[in-house]
Amino acid sequence: MFERPLPGWLAWATDPEQLRRAPFLARSPLFVGLPRRLLGRLATRFFEKVYHPGEVIFEEGDPGRALFVVVEGAVEITRATAQGAYILNTLGPGDAFGELALIDDFPRSATARIVTMPGRLLILYKSDFDALMDGNPRIALVVMRNLSRLLAIYARRTPVLATESGRGPETAGPS
Amino acid sequence: MKPGRLLVWGGLLALAWLARGLALPVFLAAALAYLLSPVVAWADALAIRRSVTVGALFAVIIAVMAAAGFLLGPGMISEAGALMDRMPGLARQIDVGLDAAVRELAEAAPAVRRLLPEGGEWVQRFVLDRGPGEPGDLFEHVGHLFLLVILVPFFAFFLLRDMHRLIAVAMDRLPPQHVETSVAVWRELNGVIGRYIRGLVLDGLVVGALAAVGLWAARVPYPLLLGAFAGLANVVPFVGPLLSAAAAGLVVLLTPGQGLAGVGRVALLFVVVKVLDDTIIQPFTIGRSVHLHPALLLGSVVVGSHALGVLGMIIAVPVATVLQETVRLLLEHRRVLARRDLRQRQERLVL
Repeated sequence: MFERPLPGWLAWATDPEQLRRAPFLARSPLFVGLPRRLLGRLATRFFEKVYHPGEVIFEEGDPGRALFVVVEGAVEITRATAQGAYILNTLGPGDAFGELALIDDFPRSATARIVTMPGRLLILYKSDFDALMDGNPRIALVVMRNLSRLLAIYARRTPVLATESGRGPETAGPS
Repeated sequence: MKPGRLLVWGGLLALAWLARGLALPVFLAAALAYLLSPVVAWADALAIRRSVTVGALFAVIIAVMAAAGFLLGPGMISEAGALMDRMPGLARQIDVGLDAAVRELAEAAPAVRRLLPEGGEWVQRFVLDRGPGEPGDLFEHVGHLFLLVILVPFFAFFLLRDMHRLIAVAMDRLPPQHVETSVAVWRELNGVIGRYIRGLVLDGLVVGALAAVGLWAARVPYPLLLGAFAGLANVVPFVGPLLSAAAAGLVVLLTPGQGLAGVGRVALLFVVVKVLDDTIIQPFTIGRSVHLHPALLLGSVVVGSHALGVLGMIIAVPVATVLQETVRLLLEHRRVLARRDLRQRQERLVL
């Protein structure tokens, strides 16, 4: 529905926010491949929040309960080392982070911080995602497949991750 | 705390105290909003504007209620009218029975006589006392009911339409470090309350329908009215089913030709309905939303009844569930943070 513009006489009944959010999620690597109907349902479960430059979204060791998708701005993923904070990755619009919170209950493995300009993020709480998966196994299948691909990309990019887990600075993966 | 902030909080508390009369309409409106929220969520997924969805939803509800009133209303009104007409006669019959029982008791155990209230016609006096004495009282009752009928859908409309905006404003004001836990707590509570209220209403509908059909089959008078009462009373844990069974039993007792066998049939019917409710209906309707220990469940109902009467008994279970979930999430949050702090201290020691 959101990809096909409605007839002009029905435009007044459409929600512009939802029209913007669902196609945006469709382009995110984590949700690519989801059918439009499920993307629409997924989009309604997200909260949106604006963060100021320099604000910490979560810290390494915090309880992980949600997935974040960058709508605007840039997010820096860092990990603390003996030499100081090491930048693992810098994410932009469409990128998701904190995705491991959807799988397990382990604390955050890195710190996420907004850089330079104000950032707008979509937040999906784990229980909402679980509830959605219970009713739609297709969502679980597509998202888990995408997540596996992302993890494989991270692993190939940094072979040391597969052999020497816990080395820290050399790894660049999801938080 | 700064004096300005203290003043604001004081003002808000005073305002809440002045508006306490709105607590019941707001509570009922929130329940109605939770009941309808799955439809709104479905329309949200289709990118339909909230105001359009909620407006259409209320138009459909009004149409359904009008149709239900047209189909079931005359039957229920005639049953209620007949019951009201028979009320003085019924009260007289009960009083005669009670007087005889009291006399019998007093003769058998004279010491007990002092404990019993003086005079007779207790039920007749009770019925007369409960009736609206002055025309002004009648207008007041009708006025309250009318206000409730207007205010509940009014508040529910705006809750459904604007709640997500209020949440967005609250989210923007939250410090970043509290966002995840706040979202977690809010989503858990929202889920628990929504599932509980929707389950409760569905449960009440099924129990009411079962009771009405059973009473009709057992040839008990006023099956629609008693079934509706059983469905409504079912929202009050423990006490509700007893009340509805007692009401049906009383009606049977006062119906010529039914006798004690009729009371037995009604008691059996309500036991069967209760067993079906506990074993089959509730696990499907509210079972998944409430994970309270039976002792905690009973305790919460007793505390709710002492604090807010019948309303307290109705809201006791969701409130206790919400408190339990909140405490669980906050304790989990604290545990993870404590583990992180311990690990950081150990790392500092190693370095």
